[in-house]
Amino acid sequence: MAKRNTSNEDEQLKTHFNWHDYARLGQYLKPYTWRMLLVLGSILIGNVAIILGPYLMKVAIDQAIPQRNFQLLWGLSGTFLVSLLVAFGCFRYRIWAITEIGQNLLIDMRTDLFKNLQKLPFAYFDSRPHGKILIRVVNYINTLSDLLANGLVNLISDVISLVITLIFMFAINWKLTLDSLVLIPFLLLWAYYVQKRQRTAFRALSNKQSNLNAYIHESIAGIKVTQGFAQEEHAVNTFDSVVNDNRDAYMRAVKIQYALSPGVQNISTMTTALIYFIGIQQLGVVVSTGTLIAFLGYINNFWNPVINIGNFYNSLVTATTYLERIFETMDEQPTVTDAPDAFALPPIKGDVRFNQVSFRYDEDGPLNLDNVSFHAKVGQTIALVGPTGAGKSTIINLLSRFYNVNSGQITIDNVDLSQVTLESLRTQMGVMQQDTFIFSGTIMDNIRYGRLDATDAEVVAAAKLARADTFIRTLKAGYQTEVQERGDSISAGQRQLLAFARVLLADPRILILDEATAAIDTKTEAQLQAGLNELLKGRTSFIVAHRLSTIQQADQILVINNGHIVEAGRHADLIAKRGEYYELYDSQYRMLQAE
Amino acid sequence: MNPYQWVWQYAKRSRWQLVLALILVVINAIGVVVVPLLGGVIVDRVITQHQLNLLIPLLATMIGVTLFRTLIRYCYIILFERIGQNSLFDIRHDLFTKLQSLDYTFFNSVTNGDIMARLTGDTDAIRHFLCWVSYNTLECVLWFLTAVIVMARINWQLMLALVIVTPLIAWLTTRMSNEAHTVFFNIRQSFARLNAMVEENISGNRVIRAFAREDFEVQKFETLNQDYRAKNMDSARVSRRYLPALDFLASLLSVIVLLFGSSLVINHHMTLGALVSFNGFLWMLNQPMRMSGWLINDIQRFSAATIKIQAMLETQPVIAPTTDVGAPKIKGAVTFQHVDFAFPDAPEVNVLTDINFTVKPGQTLGILGETGSGKSTLMNLIARFYDPTHGHVLIDGRDVRDWSPQELRHQTTIVTQDLFLFSDSIVDNINYGNRQAPEQFIREMADVADANNFITTMPDGYHTVVGERGVGLSGGQKQRISLTRALVKDPRILILDDTTSALDMETETTIQRRLRKITQDKTVFIIASRTSSLRRADQIIVLRQGRIVERGTHDDLLAADGYYAETYRRQLGLLIETKGTDSRGKTEHV
Repeated sequence: MAKRNTSNEDEQLKTHFNWHDYARLGQYLKPYTWRMLLVLGSILIGNVAIILGPYLMKVAIDQAIPQRNFQLLWGLSGTFLVSLLVAFGCFRYRIWAITEIGQNLLIDMRTDLFKNLQKLPFAYFDSRPHGKILIRVVNYINTLSDLLANGLVNLISDVISLVITLIFMFAINWKLTLDSLVLIPFLLLWAYYVQKRQRTAFRALSNKQSNLNAYIHESIAGIKVTQGFAQEEHAVNTFDSVVNDNRDAYMRAVKIQYALSPGVQNISTMTTALIYFIGIQQLGVVVSTGTLIAFLGYINNFWNPVINIGNFYNSLVTATTYLERIFETMDEQPTVTDAPDAFALPPIKGDVRFNQVSFRYDEDGPLNLDNVSFHAKVGQTIALVGPTGAGKSTIINLLSRFYNVNSGQITIDNVDLSQVTLESLRTQMGVMQQDTFIFSGTIMDNIRYGRLDATDAEVVAAAKLARADTFIRTLKAGYQTEVQERGDSISAGQRQLLAFARVLLADPRILILDEATAAIDTKTEAQLQAGLNELLKGRTSFIVAHRLSTIQQADQILVINNGHIVEAGRHADLIAKRGEYYELYDSQYRMLQAE
Repeated sequence: MNPYQWVWQYAKRSRWQLVLALILVVINAIGVVVVPLLGGVIVDRVITQHQLNLLIPLLATMIGVTLFRTLIRYCYIILFERIGQNSLFDIRHDLFTKLQSLDYTFFNSVTNGDIMARLTGDTDAIRHFLCWVSYNTLECVLWFLTAVIVMARINWQLMLALVIVTPLIAWLTTRMSNEAHTVFFNIRQSFARLNAMVEENISGNRVIRAFAREDFEVQKFETLNQDYRAKNMDSARVSRRYLPALDFLASLLSVIVLLFGSSLVINHHMTLGALVSFNGFLWMLNQPMRMSGWLINDIQRFSAATIKIQAMLETQPVIAPTTDVGAPKIKGAVTFQHVDFAFPDAPEVNVLTDINFTVKPGQTLGILGETGSGKSTLMNLIARFYDPTHGHVLIDGRDVRDWSPQELRHQTTIVTQDLFLFSDSIVDNINYGNRQAPEQFIREMADVADANNFITTMPDGYHTVVGERGVGLSGGQKQRISLTRALVKDPRILILDDTTSALDMETETTIQRRLRKITQDKTVFIIASRTSSLRRADQIIVLRQGRIVERGTHDDLLAADGYYAETYRRQLGLLIETKGTDSRGKTEHV
């Protein structure tokens, strides 16, 4: 069993982020290159209006006012107004396009993540709190989309204005320009210093957020236990300490994050001071007053984009911690996949063979199934009995290929399961599991999950067969009654009946019942059995049950112990044999009859 | 309560920090104005008037002020973040505490994903409001007012010309506010739906794999994603309608200054220098206008986020938790007097009708009945998960309504059919109800529940971590762990709701025998579908459609030859019938 993670411990990263991941991120942006270029164009055109403003004002002051030239003044104002209208249009386009690109990116990434999640083995979901998976699919990706779309376009536009400003500065006075770049290394050092700490801090924060999400999720799912054991206070205390950890990690992270900007601003001011100092020393020698003033103006222009780039860098570092988690989940390898040349399993007749199958859940653990062989002929009912943990559910899990066998072979109608597509196999198998799961939605939709194109009448027919129809009709809205995943409006037995109806609706070629009727009373179970017998004619079925009364009619009873089949045969044969089955049976009999 | 009043309840707990932060905001604002002014002084005095000795002190002041100002700004940003985090802490605490007190009327109607969205996404919008929107709005207001005052002093006519635009901006922002509110609420709702869907996809992964419904799930996901996208595009639509317009109006001020200002200069109503400095302050007026649209978006996002949170905080649980100090220790007499019960969402359907029985301290009551006959509901009334709609449930002669639910549940434990284990070590799951339980006691109880054996063979024994809900364990293992958990709590009243159904009969019988020994002084209720679990009960009742149809001891009920006898015979009969003669496949099911 792999090490399980809980809501109060941080998850370890499998691989740390590297620059290659940014390239991978780039792949997501690729389809939107053209649109992003258009947005970039709209930003640059829009910026013209901003640059034009001061220039027009300068012309007014230099020419229109001294010359008392109203015509020029109107002309200037008109030009300004037109440029504003152009900027207006650009802005409108930008808001729309950026949101669209961001949202599309979000869907692309999220869908990739979600699709991979659908392929992952049970073990992945069993080994960590569900809230921690949830936060990756939903919250982390949300954070990313804004950065990618908006941030990147702004970054490019900032870099462009930075370059343009630098060109202007060099053109005016290259020596002063070099002087004004003297402090840049300090800025880079500061950025490096902040970034290293920021990444660690945000990694810690994302872990704490993940823990919080996990704790919240689990608290909601287990609320009835908490209330039943009157542990509300303890739950609140635990929650408080998780939120507190979260607050501490957050404060640590922002204290570092916000340290970048004062650094940039101070270096900017120092540069300005330096230029004043050098410029004034050389005033009249190599630098004219007009040049100095203009140059100082450009330094401001230079630092604005630098501050923006700094902010982008800041959020990139933040987002990176989310990104590494997202990629980690995307890269999680499914253990059971279709073989490259897998084909669809033809409609199952129902001949099932286990040939010397061995299997272990844990690579270095003991064998959970050891050299198991049996043969179920078409239409037979196979019962699996034996103590808890003997391997009954394992056999059933292998049959649906939820795991791959370590050695040996499982065939259906003489086709090796490892060669067929998972979908074609599982859609023909009806597995009624121990844990019933109800989706939030109507009863009708919950049953219909078994066969999505079933008509209402077919759903009702399946419910009747599963003996669920009677109770459904007593609910306030019948089949349209809304139920919740954790709801209390239907009982555990009723949930099992619903799950049963769902399996029956799927009309599977092979039916597997894994302790399917434990929560159902004997009378309903008997009625159910009668309906099932009808359905099972000609279909192969596997039944795991503890109540021996339900399995006596099986064509074969396999007694499993310690991963081995210790006895096999019909009820009468096994009784006659006086072996383990007889023991089991006899003890039940005695217990029921008298003590 | 409006969102601002509501959030103020939390923010005001940090009011002194808030005052300090506000003072710092003002100081920084002054600093922001000072630095460019210093630049002006350098140009006027040092360059124009050649007072070179002033250069170094002026530059030093400039650097000093910036250093001071950026430090101040850093401090108040962190201060606002802290205020935000502290308020967030309190809001989350209140929400979570409320969550603990809510009953199934709430949980039956709200998805887990929606509750999670309230505790995460919604609270985050509130945090953003408190620690970012707050001081940015303040800065904007500050700039705006400073600009209006300073510029009015320079030239009030020109200022007045600019102010003309203000009503237009007020009108636009008001309209935007109204539209944005709905849009953000829709985004929030769509987010909650998405969250709920993914949450169920993860929880239900076994069913999804079994039915090979991965494609269907991806489709469902796709639909919700598209919906979320559409809701965000609605927001972009609102932004597109108003933000460029606000931006345009803000820039229009520059045009007015250019045209009207220059005219004033030409007509000698204003000096050129005045126009230049007037223009220099223009950004202080512009910037708040440009920001207003963005801030409104954030404010409305915040406001939409408070709706569901407030609704949840205002939800009154039907059974209010009270802290009943000095509640007596339960002896264990349980009496039902003419109890009727109907769920609040279907008041016309009685789930239980006219239930009467008395169980003396230390006795065991067995309950048999068909699926959905009201057995579990009956038990929920004892621990006050619900209160009866008619009649009384008495514990030690005192109406349960007079007991605080917490106190009752401390002494009454239900082992439910729906097993839930926390993703934690087995031992922490077991001592969930009694954290001080000594190890010895835990092992004894685990032994009673026949759990000790399999737990000790696990890799880390009692410290093995189990998955959420106990995934990875078999049904029988989960049942035995949750039984142990209930026993370790050592309650006065123990309710076993089909607790051993997934176990083989031998194990079940062993457990029951051991249970009888340690529960001699406890009142025990056993719901079971196997009559073998019930036969030794002091009393057995049979429920059908919410009514008691049979009652008595095992022998009484066999003699009465009703449902109980029928069930008994069916369970036994199948075995008898096949024991002697091999009648495989021929056994009739009734």
